[in-house]
Amino acid sequence: MYDTPYPVRSNLREAHAEAWRRIALPGAFWNGAERVRMVREARAALHCNLCERRAQALSPNAVPGAHDTATPLPAALTEAIHRLRADPARMTRSAFDRALAGGISAECYVEAVGVVCTSVIIDTFHNALGLAAPALPAPATGTPTGQALPKVVEDGAWVPLTAVDVEDGAFGLPRAPNIARAMGLVPGAVALFFLAFRPHYALRDVALSISQAQAEFIASRVSALNECFY
Amino acid sequence: MLLRASGERQGTTYNLSAVTDADADAGIPFSALIRRLTEATVRNKWPALAALRDEASAAMGEQQMVDVLTVAAAFNGITRVADATGIPLDANTQETTVAMRAEVGLDAFDYGAKSARYDAA
Repeated sequence: MYDTPYPVRSNLREAHAEAWRRIALPGAFWNGAERVRMVREARAALHCNLCERRAQALSPNAVPGAHDTATPLPAALTEAIHRLRADPARMTRSAFDRALAGGISAECYVEAVGVVCTSVIIDTFHNALGLAAPALPAPATGTPTGQALPKVVEDGAWVPLTAVDVEDGAFGLPRAPNIARAMGLVPGAVALFFLAFRPHYALRDVALSISQAQAEFIASRVSALNECFY
Repeated sequence: MLLRASGERQGTTYNLSAVTDADADAGIPFSALIRRLTEATVRNKWPALAALRDEASAAMGEQQMVDVLTVAAAFNGITRVADATGIPLDANTQETTVAMRAEVGLDAFDYGAKSARYDAA
């Protein structure tokens, strides 16, 4: 990964390589081949005619049709992946509910979100540096691993969140922000995503050559562009 | 919200309207260039970004340019985690940012508001 003359930090290179390897392993609810297909499908969403037509409509639900798919993943999961990759600003509760109604359990959904969003970080950074997205990893054999029952609670999100003490830390920032709890239904998804994310950013004392304020401005602009309320 | 917290820690006031207003200056170094790099990254404007990388490298230095892309790529992923799970604001943020969210226009991104706006058939 990252065959580039630009100064890409070594800890980031190593974390992304490890995340890429882990995507290809069986997860708690999906096998390795299915997880790699999720990345392939997310990439296909960027060239999907239906996604493009929906992006130009006032409501994505007003445009019927079929996605240009690249994999045999279940239709409800494909719909969720395309929405998440191509039009995250309009990811709504009804889109989540349709995934569940289509036979995707909340646990399977959360694991897929973890895989797709990890791949978005890695693909975006490659493309931003002028590199092609990395070759998909070869999926490992094996069935989904299952998992111990996670400690989660209903706390105002569409999915149960990690159960933690949310007492405030310094500067009014919670010690366990909801974003860190969001995929608590599948702890392996949390581990995968933050493995890739951690070298990019920190809530304070960000270990980059830009200032914390510059980093927050970038974060804020991305959030606005993706219409992310959180 | 984090930009506001960052300013409070440093005793600095940033122009938060720059988050949603393309004509506003955030009051941080290279904010206009950072804005263009970030938007090209999130909007997949790769040809434009090629020229921007050169411009930013000359102005900020190559490492800072790469680090801008580093943060933008990360938030292109993590915003999707939030958008896919419908997580609410953290309690403290919810309580302390009412006026700021209204001023900057962030309440339009509330998941309930987005459902009302986008879920029409």
